[in-house]
Amino acid sequence: MKYFMIAIVCVLCFLLPFFVGAYLIHVLTSIMIFLSLALSWDMMLRTGQLSFGIAGFFGLGAYASIIAVDDFSIDPLWSILVAAGFAALIALALGWIVLRLREIYFAITTLALSSVFMIFARNLSDLTGGSAGEVLYESIFKGDSIKIYWLVLSVALTVILVSELFQRTRIRFAINAIRDDEIAAKCSGVNIFKYLLFVFVLTSAIQGAVGALYAQQYAFVEPESTFSANFLLLPMSMALVGGIYSTLGPIIGAVVLGLASEYLKLIMPYGHLIIYGLILVLTIMFLPRGIYGTVVNRIAAKR
Amino acid sequence: MLLRTEKLTKSFGGLIAVKSVDLKVNQGEILGIIGPNGAGKTTLTNLISGVFYPTEGRIHFEDKDITFVPAHLRARMGIARTFQLVRPLRDFTAFENVVVSCLFARGESLREARKSARKICELVELDQPERRLDRLTVFELKKLEVARALGCQPKLLILDEVMAGLNFEEMQRMIQLVKSLREKQITICVIEHVMSVISQLTDRVVVLDRGEIIAEGPYERVAHDPKVITAYLGEEA
Repeated sequence: MKYFMIAIVCVLCFLLPFFVGAYLIHVLTSIMIFLSLALSWDMMLRTGQLSFGIAGFFGLGAYASIIAVDDFSIDPLWSILVAAGFAALIALALGWIVLRLREIYFAITTLALSSVFMIFARNLSDLTGGSAGEVLYESIFKGDSIKIYWLVLSVALTVILVSELFQRTRIRFAINAIRDDEIAAKCSGVNIFKYLLFVFVLTSAIQGAVGALYAQQYAFVEPESTFSANFLLLPMSMALVGGIYSTLGPIIGAVVLGLASEYLKLIMPYGHLIIYGLILVLTIMFLPRGIYGTVVNRIAAKR
Repeated sequence: MLLRTEKLTKSFGGLIAVKSVDLKVNQGEILGIIGPNGAGKTTLTNLISGVFYPTEGRIHFEDKDITFVPAHLRARMGIARTFQLVRPLRDFTAFENVVVSCLFARGESLREARKSARKICELVELDQPERRLDRLTVFELKKLEVARALGCQPKLLILDEVMAGLNFEEMQRMIQLVKSLREKQITICVIEHVMSVISQLTDRVVVLDRGEIIAEGPYERVAHDPKVITAYLGEEA
């Protein structure tokens, strides 16, 4: 029954473009981009590691995708896989070093990595177009927004599926144990470094793929806006508001904050970020486990 | 011989916590490790389980040199330990804590691990293992430590003060549990302050003081060793 409902929701999501207008489709595409980022950030957080590097891997993927299409004549659709692979490779090499750090040291280092990526993008002018950025010559699906919506939806559903696999397999036991107590975890046979590296590479690949989707949608990359802190701060806020350490939490957060920010933009074009910030502050103060986490705790307490 | 350490030394900066210790653990025995506070008992446990590596010396387990083998591989080889200050995994239920070691130390599938964990919970008499950890008593948390260690399918089990904080009746039940584990061919090291437990359980005792072994032998003999009495009570004025 539960799976039947989920299947129906998925089918409805795919059929949506036939019922609603282009504006809503555009909004939903953007929400699903951020939803995937929020989930990937949360998956890393489940290991206890707070990563500030997601905007960096997002930007890497965006650049990799456009360069793959422009300079190597790769099909735009395939360029998304190229971007994911490129982000994964970089994450593998860097993760080998930074995953020896913990807590605030890991967080700060991943934040620094984002800046380093941006400096590379700005200075490798021959490849990246320098600070002027680079335009995509052959846009995916020739810019058909409905097909892009379907593509983004497929990626978002894949990310949701991966997140659920994390929650239902031995991976959950490994990464929760690492988050709770590394010494107890390793004395119980958990290979901590292997799991951290695996999750870091996988989530970076997701961020790279999502960056590629974004770049394909807007057909343009530029250092400042592609590596913008928004691609870190918005997904983090969504996961925190929705509820961390779960699949449903970041999804709820992305939909609620995504729709809220669109609506607020319409009614107050200049002040909407203040309200957005206010929502975030209030949630953290009064619902520290997020919307979903609070609901789950209430139900658990009643039992 | 199951485990042998050779001139094992660990220093933290200027402090030498374990000093040139030659420890031998025979197959199938229950060995008591005693000594006053700060003697280096827990540091020795940490060295054997691989929580950190020694400054000097070697560790051999089943004739393999494991001095620099990482902790998770030692757990898979069959070296399991409990923690003096219990370290349960707080986001899991008691049962799931045991599943973790069955999964990763034994390398079982999720289904097998659930089955093994259920058996272990029955063995240590952990009632209602699906409870959240904040509802567990001290005795149950100590039993959970033992249960999670048993999930590693240990050949060598190091019990670091599992009796601390238990009342008399709970202690008797824990002693029965440890005895039943020996019948399962598990070699056991008991680190303990409660001497009545040591005298009831152990075949042999090693006494540590300031990081060094100062005496070893059967409990009756060691307990009357003047060096041991001095270590615990200090020199006569």
